[in-house]
Amino acid sequence: MSGFFAALVPFTFGVLGVFLANIPISLSGGHIPAPLLALMPVYFWCLVRPDLMPPAAAFALGLMEDIFSGGPAGVWTLSFVAAYAVVDRQRDTFAGLSGLGAILGFAAAMLIASSTAYVVVAIYYSHLPPLAPLIVQIAVTILFYIPAAAILNRVHRRIVGPLRSDF
Amino acid sequence: MANGTWKIARNRSSAQLPLAVFAVLAIVVVLIGKAQSSLFDDARTKLSDWTSPLLKAVNAPVEGVSRWVGSIGEIFSVYNENLKLKEENARLRQWQSAALVLDDRVKRYQLLLNAVPDPTLTTVTARVIGRSSKPFLETMILDAGKKQSVKPGQAVLDARGMIGRIFLAGDRTSWVILLTDLNSRIPVVIQPGNIQAMIAGDNSGAPTVETLAQWATLKPGMQVLTSGDGGLIPPGLPIGSLAADGDRFRVALLADASTADDVQIVDFKTPPNQPPAVTKKDLPATAAGLEPLAPPSDVPSTQTLPPPILNNPMLNKPALNNTNAVNTASPGTKPAQQNPPAGQKLVTGPQPNTAKTNTGPKPTLNPKDKPSDQTPGEVE
Repeated sequence: MSGFFAALVPFTFGVLGVFLANIPISLSGGHIPAPLLALMPVYFWCLVRPDLMPPAAAFALGLMEDIFSGGPAGVWTLSFVAAYAVVDRQRDTFAGLSGLGAILGFAAAMLIASSTAYVVVAIYYSHLPPLAPLIVQIAVTILFYIPAAAILNRVHRRIVGPLRSDF
Repeated sequence: MANGTWKIARNRSSAQLPLAVFAVLAIVVVLIGKAQSSLFDDARTKLSDWTSPLLKAVNAPVEGVSRWVGSIGEIFSVYNENLKLKEENARLRQWQSAALVLDDRVKRYQLLLNAVPDPTLTTVTARVIGRSSKPFLETMILDAGKKQSVKPGQAVLDARGMIGRIFLAGDRTSWVILLTDLNSRIPVVIQPGNIQAMIAGDNSGAPTVETLAQWATLKPGMQVLTSGDGGLIPPGLPIGSLAADGDRFRVALLADASTADDVQIVDFKTPPNQPPAVTKKDLPATAAGLEPLAPPSDVPSTQTLPPPILNNPMLNKPALNNTNAVNTASPGTKPAQQNPPAGQKLVTGPQPNTAKTNTGPKPTLNPKDKPSDQTPGEVE
């Protein structure tokens, strides 16, 4: 695959995550919130290929998540940028994690994104929203990251690849 | 996972804008969304309009599978469930016959009392083509929109009770904010006792009861209905029953948004309120409890009549002459009707002929001062 299309893969996966997570069809009858799939490619490629997942991409994916999810505007945009900022600043720490540590690394990013969203929504509506649905969503998203990370790894190895300078 | 196996790419694009700029942009998006949410709402409704055929196609098998999976556990309790339903059905038939008799009686009473009839409701039946459960939003998408006269604010019901209300309407689809949603606030009345309250969603399965009067005493099992305050939602729609939750009450909803397939969107319009005719009681002095001043008795009536009006040829019409007669019959600047004798009250009922009621010095009096064959509220 040419380099141009390979460079589009991280953002395309983010868009795919937004679509899949926001299809308004629930197998659980609406009892369990959908996972925040779009954050997975943002976190993953922010660590391994930040040149293909720049802050602008995180911003755009957050904005799409806001439009598709139907919630208050800007909540996930700000949350994605906040999570990106923390992961970007602590890249060495996060990228050195493997196995369970890598899952915990993503859990930390998810926690930052969700906390930001919670605070923004609380300010937006001038009262504290319930925590339980958010906690369930965090748990579901972290569980989904386990298979998703394997898929992203595979896609990265086969299609995207490391930077030429890393060889 | 394998993050540690990857080399970190440290050289970034020089054209990349700093994170701070996007953080500021994100805050701007939040502020714009708060100040003018219609931008995002339009995008959402257009999106759901475009994707509605796809949603319908995908939703049908998913709903089927979901229902099939959900019914696996029920197979084992079919027999007991059937017995229970038969018993409940027999009891409900009794209630149905009682309700029909009472309904007929209420209609006769309304006819006798000449009561204002209940407004007629028109409904649009729509199919649920999507439902979404997010941490900050509980919603469902319907396949009816502005083309079917669906408008934001209208109530949505399933066969059992109210589910929510429309908050976004596209051309062919509409979004429903469920009663359990964080932003849902519905004025309700709790029966028996006619207790006015609000129910507020908090993304849990049962909304909480808020804004209660201090004197109100609630008990589990009391019925919750829409009150109709605000004029968008018709009064009397069933919502659920009260259930105690610690020191507060929640509403166990009758409707089940997770299983509803077809719903009704209720179009309800209250007739525009006509302001009542101005009466003597509406005068500021009267409303404040002050009786209007009695006209001075020693002033000759001729002094109060402005000669130019009397000489004006335009006032020679009969009706205006009657007005003139009021002024002549009752000295002073106010008409005679506004100065009833002490102990007598004016009737504020309909006055079909103002000119006639204003002609004589005798005001329209309280029914007790009228002939016995006259009904209250009538005028001569």
